[in-house]
Amino acid sequence: MSAARRTLLRAPLTMVEEQDSRFRGDEEGAFSALGTSHWRSLGQLAPTDESNSLLHREFPASEFADPMSRRSFLSLMGASLALATLAGCRRPVEKIVSYAKPSEEIVLGNPEQFATVACIAGSVTGVLVTAREGRPIKVEGNPYHPSSRGGTNSFLQASILGLYDPDRSKDILNRGVASDYESFLAFWRPLRDRHLAAGGVGLAVLSGDIVSPSLARLRREFGHTFPKARWVVYESVSDENIRAGIRAATGGDYHPVYAFDKAKVILSLDSDFLMTEADAVANARAFADGRRVTDGKSLMNRLYAVESNFTVTGANADHRLRLKCSRVSHFAAALGAELEKLGLNVPGSEAALGKVPAGAEKFLMALARDLYLHRGNCLVVAGRGQPAVVHTLVCAMNAALGNVGTTVGYLPATEPCSSLTELAALTGAMKSGQIETLFVLGGNPVYDAPADLNFSEAFSRVPNAVVLSLHNDETGRRSSWLINQAHFLESWGDARSADGTLALQQPLIEPLFGGHSDIELAGVVTTGLDRRGYELAQETWKEHLPPLDFEKHWRRVLHDGMLAGSAQPWQTPAVNGSGVASALANGLPKSDDWLEVVFRPSYAVGDGRYSNNGWLQELPDPMTKLTWDNAALISPKTAERLGRLETEEVIRLTADGRSVEAPAFILPGHADDTITLTLGYGREKLGGVADGAGFDAGAIRTTDRFFFAGGASALKTGKRRPLATSQNHHSMEGRPIVREGSLDQYQKNPDFAAEMVEQGPAPSLWKEHTYDEGNQWGMTIDLNTCTGCNACAIACQSENNIPIVGREQVRRGREMHWIRLDRYFTGDADNPQAVTQPVACQQCEMAPCEQVCPVAATSHDQEGLNVMTYNRCIGTRYCSNNCPYKVRRFNFFNYTNKLDELVQMAQNPDVTVRSRGVMEKCTYCVQRINRGKHNAKMEDRDVRDGEIVTACQAACPSGAIVFGNLNDPESRVSKLKKDHRRYDLLAELNTRPRTSYLAKIRNPNPELEEA
Amino acid sequence: MSQVFPKWANRIPAALVGVLVIVIAGGVGFFWYYGSPQYTDVGYRPSQPLPFSHKLHAGDLGMDCRYCHSQVEQSAHANIPAPATCMNCHSLILKESEKLLPIREAVATGKPLQWVRVHKLPDYAYFNHAAHLRAGVACVSCHGNIPEMDVVTQREPLSMSWCLDCHRNPTLNLRPLDQITNFKWQPPANMALLAQELKTTKKIAPPTDCSGCHR
Repeated sequence: MSAARRTLLRAPLTMVEEQDSRFRGDEEGAFSALGTSHWRSLGQLAPTDESNSLLHREFPASEFADPMSRRSFLSLMGASLALATLAGCRRPVEKIVSYAKPSEEIVLGNPEQFATVACIAGSVTGVLVTAREGRPIKVEGNPYHPSSRGGTNSFLQASILGLYDPDRSKDILNRGVASDYESFLAFWRPLRDRHLAAGGVGLAVLSGDIVSPSLARLRREFGHTFPKARWVVYESVSDENIRAGIRAATGGDYHPVYAFDKAKVILSLDSDFLMTEADAVANARAFADGRRVTDGKSLMNRLYAVESNFTVTGANADHRLRLKCSRVSHFAAALGAELEKLGLNVPGSEAALGKVPAGAEKFLMALARDLYLHRGNCLVVAGRGQPAVVHTLVCAMNAALGNVGTTVGYLPATEPCSSLTELAALTGAMKSGQIETLFVLGGNPVYDAPADLNFSEAFSRVPNAVVLSLHNDETGRRSSWLINQAHFLESWGDARSADGTLALQQPLIEPLFGGHSDIELAGVVTTGLDRRGYELAQETWKEHLPPLDFEKHWRRVLHDGMLAGSAQPWQTPAVNGSGVASALANGLPKSDDWLEVVFRPSYAVGDGRYSNNGWLQELPDPMTKLTWDNAALISPKTAERLGRLETEEVIRLTADGRSVEAPAFILPGHADDTITLTLGYGREKLGGVADGAGFDAGAIRTTDRFFFAGGASALKTGKRRPLATSQNHHSMEGRPIVREGSLDQYQKNPDFAAEMVEQGPAPSLWKEHTYDEGNQWGMTIDLNTCTGCNACAIACQSENNIPIVGREQVRRGREMHWIRLDRYFTGDADNPQAVTQPVACQQCEMAPCEQVCPVAATSHDQEGLNVMTYNRCIGTRYCSNNCPYKVRRFNFFNYTNKLDELVQMAQNPDVTVRSRGVMEKCTYCVQRINRGKHNAKMEDRDVRDGEIVTACQAACPSGAIVFGNLNDPESRVSKLKKDHRRYDLLAELNTRPRTSYLAKIRNPNPELEEA
Repeated sequence: MSQVFPKWANRIPAALVGVLVIVIAGGVGFFWYYGSPQYTDVGYRPSQPLPFSHKLHAGDLGMDCRYCHSQVEQSAHANIPAPATCMNCHSLILKESEKLLPIREAVATGKPLQWVRVHKLPDYAYFNHAAHLRAGVACVSCHGNIPEMDVVTQREPLSMSWCLDCHRNPTLNLRPLDQITNFKWQPPANMALLAQELKTTKKIAPPTDCSGCHR
């Protein structure tokens, strides 16, 4: 073992000792589990001088982004002075206009909410969209829709910016030349007649997952009209393996539905069900419901995660096993055998008995026993990236454990799932010239199809390639006709969510660029008639709504955002033992090759569909804290083995004869001998945001090895790519900021978190203000249910007009997010646990920032808010220096004056847009507080508890954030403040934060507890 | 050797200081007076694209403000009436008036008239009409006697200190809700008592914190 390696290992131990001795001073409440020291990066774990100096600087860079000469500085100053004087001379004339035709519903200045539904890569979520004067500006979850229950995720929050993306495809292009829809119809109709005469020979449609009943109906009609044509479904990340696995186990086409809230023990086999699997928003809410503790008697679920990459789900797990992706199936088989040994019937798994991947024996035994003890209320789930055989096994195990019908159910899958074989067949047909006309309904196969198919080349051989796309993307550019797609906020449609609930998608705004939706184009393909999405959806819904009073019912569905009672009853298909046995007998994936590459959708940009979204690009990844880039994620040990590889060093990865260059990022807790690559980056001429961000991992992704590829190799190239990671920004110097304990410890001493401070609050130097009248706002954040999904960060950005600053500025620590998610590791570098903590302005009653502002730009109001008056701020940044929580953000540049007019439409008119030289921070959404108070006043009543909801709280899928009036003893937040787990950040400084945290509780299996 | 500087030169520094003081005081005084909204904004009287007379409509004809500014009680903004609102009457009265041509054009083309804004707060101040009306602050308090203006003129400075004067002591500007658009309302003899009663029954506590108006 090398010297460097040894220091790395030794470092955490010394830190543990330091912290332990610090806390041992406490007498009876001594919290022994404080062997957890929290660290954020390897640099912090094994500090060097360089990493320390970076850590301790407030803003680790000088003021000017680029070196600026004296001359250019003077000329700039001169110009701006001259402008300022001239502009000051005359009062600007401002025009006001009225509506030409006033709308009955719109009251200028009052927001309206409409229910609609968002379909993202096969996941359907019911949302409420806020519109101001007919302009959608904010997405919230629909509390009545089962897929949301009020929660959203970062993708849904950021879809507002996607709507106003200036790089969207705006015109219909015929081989790059602007055309119009009529010309397209004139082109297609005679062609359609020819295809019709030939029964559809030479015609193909490529679509994404079909969740829309209207699209499903049109697909069926297409099949009848063109019996010899093909309709292929393809998503680059899909449930194909899950469906295939269940088919092998039950003989039918089903998709699984989970009740995470009812499961006491959950095993995730490489399944990131909180983030990247289907229906993640609903999963997160249900998982949190099963985890909420209110008192010492509360029960909470226990999550085991077996995975290669360190995912958000893994970070939330009570026990996490790092395993190569290919070995997860071996683990599953061995688990099946172990369950069989315990007396359950998992067919075909006998052979795997004892064949446990090395190092996992103890974990597996304890897990098997735990699952067995919780028969009937446990749950096993496996990820999309695992081969079908794992899903077959999971299906059999859930049946054997008696979970089917309680924690897992199945719904018949009526629509085809994404299929790689069919895509391969289609590509083959295209290459051989059999396909004359191809319609691509909304996907981007040139970018994301498996590399070995060489889709791009095949695509160029299709004489008539019609592409419907939001962007002039890789596929769109190569098409003969590019139809600009309408955003989901611009079009009519419908969707069936995972549990079967039907909902209508209604537009919030006329298509900005006159685009068309997928069902409209599908209608044109099938019938040749140009019909609006509205008509198509109504026609479909004749099946679902009673013909009598159709319009009334239709409006009801539009209003509610769903058809009440349309969820489908769970089915419990019997597991076919021989099917499972034969699937297992066919063998498990090989896992001997030492280096394996794993492909995963990005937490930021998905599979690439959000590449040009600035909010998402700048959103730090929950685990790596990387922005504006993807990287090859490697464990510290594997990095060592690859020649002491360091973060930012570019490596050349080769798999299957294809290679790609990627900067390395050493992620503690990543499985050894595995490299994870995230998809969705390395875009080609997509737009101002996407271009230049990351590399295209899809270049080495092939049909056979779609989610992971063994036999890979990695070589150093000697190059470096600077990465913008925010993981060391806003450091809080190793104090007990995030506090956690085990369920057992919590039950023994519920006050453990409060007792973790170094000393009591310091006595105050002056007479303190009492806040005991009127509304006194406060917040609690439950770290136990916070999954670290980042939805709050984007919700805040959308609500509060927070600018993006770009990759270079993030490297300088100047990101502007008002709420950040700190991710801490605990334990050793190879196998740490991780915990995330959202930190925004704590709204201290005794705010240190206020005491140092020379111009009283930040002050307190009577309701306890620490307010920021932008117009007074002169930008000394003293407040930020004096803030112990590092939550103040400074506008180093005027980030908003050059915003595209289109992007300006995404801005919230209730919030001031800040200019250069101004400090800003979380306001507890003071605009929402004022609106809530105003609404109450208009009705001559007090503000009701729960009436005012901050943007972060509204977005949170797990309901971890609660906001309200502390002066009302009956409010939810008042009650939560009395929770034993409550602690305030750095309470010992006597800052009296209004935001409190509820400590995180882990529920480890005593069998696996280290002695 | 003769003195280089005459004796009176000794007084130059003192005189310079004196001049400097006067210049600075003058400068401050200049901007204090000429830079304040009381000077710059009061009396702002831009000409409008159409010679609409509030005096005629709200004064002589006695139309209620809310006939045209119909959403003022529901929203932060007092809306400008759509051309269609004008046509409610003017499709019958003065049908062919030359002065009304822009209105008829607006109705025909769907392109609204561009009025010049008179009463304007800075963008970072979030004023709410509905909240003020609900509290019983009358139109006249901020807009002056509109029914006597042929061309609308700004009468109050709309400066922050002017806002705060009322927020600190609102009783002078409160009146019963049914009188808020009445420009001829005369406070009764027991006005002080009445205002105090209005203030307590309606729990009127205007914010004086930054967050009341700035976000």
